[in-house]
Amino acid sequence: MSVRVFRWRAVGPLLVFAALGMVAWVLFGDRIARRSAEKIGTAIVGAKVEIKSLHLSLADGDVTIRGLTVASPHEALENLLEADELVADVDVLPLLEKKVVIDRLAANGLRFGTPRQTDGRTAGRSDGIAARVMTEAQAWSRQFQVPALQLATGKIDVGTLDPRNLSAIPAAEALTARTDSSRRAWQAGLDSLQLGPAVDSAAATLARLRTARATDLAALASARRAIDQLKRARDRVAALERRVTGGLASLRAGAAGLDSAKQRDYAVAKGLLKLPALDAPEIGAALFAPTAVRKFERALYWARLGRHYMPPGLLPRADAGPPRARGRGTTVRFPREHALPGFLLRTAELSFRLDGTAPQAKHYTGRLTGLTSDPALYGRPTLFEASAPAVAAGAMLDHVRATPRDTAGASLQGVRLPAIALPSLPLRLEPREGTVQLGFALRGDTIRARWAVRSSRVRWERDSGATGTPVSDVVWRVVSGISDLSVDAGVTGTIARPRLVVRSNLDEAIAARLRAMLGDEVATAERRLRAEVDRQVDPKVAPARAKVAALQTEVTARLAEQRARLDQAQKDLEARLRELTRIRVP
Amino acid sequence: MLTLAKLIQSLVKALHSEGTPGQVAAGIALGSFLGLTPLVTLHNAVVFGLIVILNVSFPAAMLGWVLFVPVGFLLDPVFDAIGRRLLLDTPALTPLWTSLYNTPVVPLTSFNNSIVLGSLVFSLVAFLPLFFGGRWAVARYRATLGERVRQSKWYRAVTASKLYNVYRLFRPE
Repeated sequence: MSVRVFRWRAVGPLLVFAALGMVAWVLFGDRIARRSAEKIGTAIVGAKVEIKSLHLSLADGDVTIRGLTVASPHEALENLLEADELVADVDVLPLLEKKVVIDRLAANGLRFGTPRQTDGRTAGRSDGIAARVMTEAQAWSRQFQVPALQLATGKIDVGTLDPRNLSAIPAAEALTARTDSSRRAWQAGLDSLQLGPAVDSAAATLARLRTARATDLAALASARRAIDQLKRARDRVAALERRVTGGLASLRAGAAGLDSAKQRDYAVAKGLLKLPALDAPEIGAALFAPTAVRKFERALYWARLGRHYMPPGLLPRADAGPPRARGRGTTVRFPREHALPGFLLRTAELSFRLDGTAPQAKHYTGRLTGLTSDPALYGRPTLFEASAPAVAAGAMLDHVRATPRDTAGASLQGVRLPAIALPSLPLRLEPREGTVQLGFALRGDTIRARWAVRSSRVRWERDSGATGTPVSDVVWRVVSGISDLSVDAGVTGTIARPRLVVRSNLDEAIAARLRAMLGDEVATAERRLRAEVDRQVDPKVAPARAKVAALQTEVTARLAEQRARLDQAQKDLEARLRELTRIRVP
Repeated sequence: MLTLAKLIQSLVKALHSEGTPGQVAAGIALGSFLGLTPLVTLHNAVVFGLIVILNVSFPAAMLGWVLFVPVGFLLDPVFDAIGRRLLLDTPALTPLWTSLYNTPVVPLTSFNNSIVLGSLVFSLVAFLPLFFGGRWAVARYRATLGERVRQSKWYRAVTASKLYNVYRLFRPE
């Protein structure tokens, strides 16, 4: 029986099925595209992306998005941005290669930092890229030791000072051990000089010379050999002297290092007791560093996220596959030279509002070019610029070369600035209208960032429900009369070893006031601390120093003695030789 | 319960269809693609089209799909390993993947996903053993148990259901 290969009568139902698929796409395509866009956007940003409506017109290559809301990945009830409408002109053919190329995007009605009703953060609840980058950024910001502005209250308990935390004690013990070891080594060196035979031989030769005549050539030769022997012995002494001099210098440096270790111990003890910082820079750091670090952490988050999604180079890139009921697997991208990038936004015209709460909202425009997933293929950095009276912002993400460079800067004048909460104090700072500047540069792993705020109309608010502490009272009395604010914070160094500096015009004012009020108490506490450190450290440090001094005296004296013996023997021999060999005129 | 009933129905219809053992086996082997690989992919649309157009047993294909879905879930780690080996750990294949990745339509198959590629390769390798094994098994069944089952009451109940009418549209000719 022959079996036909094709079932032609099933073509009709298959075509009907395909037609139904087309109808379903027409009916639900926009919804599917909207959900996909929301899902992908949420995964990329690390916070909810919501779209009210999305219309996809593949025939015209138009995509229109209305009511876009992107939640902030950092703040629970805040949006990163909202947009009234986005209209994109999409190249259709690259879609066949699963590539999205947007020739032009017009974004209207952008607003930043608007409030939202629900927590839109997802980075903490997922295991995606955004979550990993967020964790890294948070770990980075935790590196900064922000001093706490607080007073030690009650009795200062110096008994909590653990000797194991003091560096001078192990340093003194190590120095003692080194001194003992050096003593043994130098003693062995002195013993190995074996000067006795040389000196004895010189003495015997001198005795022979005393009775010898100028013609006794054997005696003269013997004398010269004895002198050579003495010279070689002196060379050995000199070599040992050099070793000893170097060793003693090292021991003296170790003894001097005990002072530095002790100073560090004072600082450790002070930190344990949480004494208030009275240095102006520390006060600035205590007040404004948390806010500044949060800004830098956010900038770093976006920069690192950008580096992940816009990596340099053309090597295959592996990422987790799309979420689905089955395993996600790994999706690998294979960029090729001269081919289109996986994603490219050639130009975006942005129209946005700042300070949406102002009675007359100001409108600004910006331009974004060359946003791409494959910078090496596009060959040019991503650029953003926005300028308007009193606003200047720009960013460049240059991932074209092997070492990526990300720079961003913004300066906003005359805009309403968000409130700044002061940590550990029941105070809030409302800068109101002012100037804010943010600069950020990440070149490879080298970071340089700056955040500055200026305002001449600041308002201070005290939390009425909070119990005032001595420090908060002091700070309140100092700052409540200050209407000018100038804060300047910066981070330099590498990602692994950043350095933070914070300065403000409040630092010196608060420090002076604190010094005046708390100076005596702090000075007393510090004296007690130092005494406690001295009590624990000195019994170890003083003997170590004494040992070094004793060893120095002893070794120097012994070496001098040995050298003197040799010198005297050589001198005697040479004098006798001169006497014998002097030409006498009859 | 309904799924189980449908599975039994598919099984019965496939085994007792008018199709030859080869048609039934080909249906199962093609259906295994739908079950083993992630469903919503371009290649599965092609496989579905082949199931419909080719003169293979449609119920057998549905049976193959249903039977191999759990196998696919279970073997996902294996597919992932195969896919990763081919995509990432075989440099000789990188030019091929790069070329395919930049060829229109091909990226829509998601071949560059380790599980999709691994499961597709596995399905291709398993196709012939499944076909020949299935053909032998169906022939043996029909020669031994088939007639007794055909005479049973519940077989008649199954074939009398509404779904059977739909099946008749796609039964092998």
